[in-house]
Amino acid sequence: MSRFFILTLDGLTQGAIYAAVALALVLIWRATKVINFAQGAMAMFTTYLALFAIDHGAPYWLGFVVALLSGLLLGAIVERVIVRPVESAPPLNVVILTLGLLLFFEALAPMLFGGQIRSFPPAFSIVGLHVGNSQVAFSAFDAFTLGSVLAVMILLLVLFQRTNLGLRMRASAFNPEVSRLLGIRVGRMLTLGWALASLVGALAGVLIAPTFLLYPNVMDQVLVFGFTGAVLGGLDSAVGAVIGGLLIGFALSYVGGYLGSDLETVGALVILIAVLMVRPRGLFSLQRLREV
Amino acid sequence: MLEIVDLTVAYGPVMALHGVTLTVADSSITAVLGANGAGKTTLVRTISGLVRPRSGSVRLDGRDITRLAPEEIARLGVAHVPQGQAVLAELTVDENLRLGGLWRRDPSGQRRAMAEAYELFPPLASRRHLAAFSLSGGERQMLVIGRALVARSRVLLLDEPSLGLARLVLVQIMARIKTMVHERGLTVLLIEQNAKSALSVADEAMVLHLGKVVVQGRAHQLSSEEGLRHAYLGF
Repeated sequence: MSRFFILTLDGLTQGAIYAAVALALVLIWRATKVINFAQGAMAMFTTYLALFAIDHGAPYWLGFVVALLSGLLLGAIVERVIVRPVESAPPLNVVILTLGLLLFFEALAPMLFGGQIRSFPPAFSIVGLHVGNSQVAFSAFDAFTLGSVLAVMILLLVLFQRTNLGLRMRASAFNPEVSRLLGIRVGRMLTLGWALASLVGALAGVLIAPTFLLYPNVMDQVLVFGFTGAVLGGLDSAVGAVIGGLLIGFALSYVGGYLGSDLETVGALVILIAVLMVRPRGLFSLQRLREV
Repeated sequence: MLEIVDLTVAYGPVMALHGVTLTVADSSITAVLGANGAGKTTLVRTISGLVRPRSGSVRLDGRDITRLAPEEIARLGVAHVPQGQAVLAELTVDENLRLGGLWRRDPSGQRRAMAEAYELFPPLASRRHLAAFSLSGGERQMLVIGRALVARSRVLLLDEPSLGLARLVLVQIMARIKTMVHERGLTVLLIEQNAKSALSVADEAMVLHLGKVVVQGRAHQLSSEEGLRHAYLGF
């Protein structure tokens, strides 16, 4: 099997994970115009909760549900308790607050769960699938990863474009004051936005942990790559986030494969800088429509 | 019935409203007139809960709504159409209209109200699936008023609806609102700088000057008092 093919498959599965993180970042950006730098740390924390359940005898899928539900809850609590009081402060305050949250969760996790590197079970086999007589570098778990991220993207699109709840959420994000005058409980919409984002982040956590393992700052690098994907996609588009995340996955896989794995992070930063220089609004941003 | 009692509002040290008292009867149009900075917009923003008064109260059918959040006041049936064609530019015309009545959870009533709004404003019907930012100023004004009508609110707070609207369209809209006042008991508080057109549709009127009520009375009386017209109304 050609090297290019292997690297492409690898990029696809890595990219799916970055896409999930990008999707989570975009959800919060759309609702509150804030980048949640604690997104990765929150996902790490919910993955530890899932592992805690599994360690205590819960079957894998129960652990999976624990991760997603605790993600939903954690996002809602963070918005209500931590973000809400500084809502009217300048955006930089909220950004610094999320950086503080990142440090908080990365310090809390080793206190509660121990600091050693843990392995995390995959939902399905991570052994490459067999196609005819040859084995490919694409496992059942990789298919699950890709499939669940695409499913989440489609569910979110349906929620935002086809339901009244989604319409309320979009209106609240675009113009909170007018939305309130229309009887929309904007505060609840923001809480829901954070909860959904944190749910998507929690999904990314359980998808990442089987290959990246689980330790308190495992998500730091993933967050950088996911953020790059989100910026590439334009920060306010769910489809853009997924495509951006996948593109980052491919790019990093090729950089790592052809140029050496220690250049991966540099590759991501080069992409980020290049995007900001050439197309600062990203590939799929709504903003360009508004210039008309 | 909307009652405003001794309302005082300040932005920091700057007084915007000084003990304003006003009763808006059901099934009537009350015009609030005055120059720029008289406090007209502050008055409606306080009624709809966007601004907190320093003292005084706002009552809707006897219930004190002074401290309620704007979204709760809207859900009691008070529709505030703010100044400046506040459409949700990124959403389509249809989505903007739908948002007007979402809180009612009454899908069939909502469909009827939307059909009425499209009938009232044909330009909107032909653009229903376009994003609102592609509309002209007049069409945007139609959209925000249509959105308030879809909510089927009991009280309508209109802040300078004449801005950016062709005279003919404004006359049409006001005629329609007048019908709703008579047929459905709609209560309207109409904020206008253009005193002449406001007085022609209003039942009652008051003039604000630097945050204080200077004149209050029947609309036709105000428009016939020459001294007043020269001093405050400019026509």
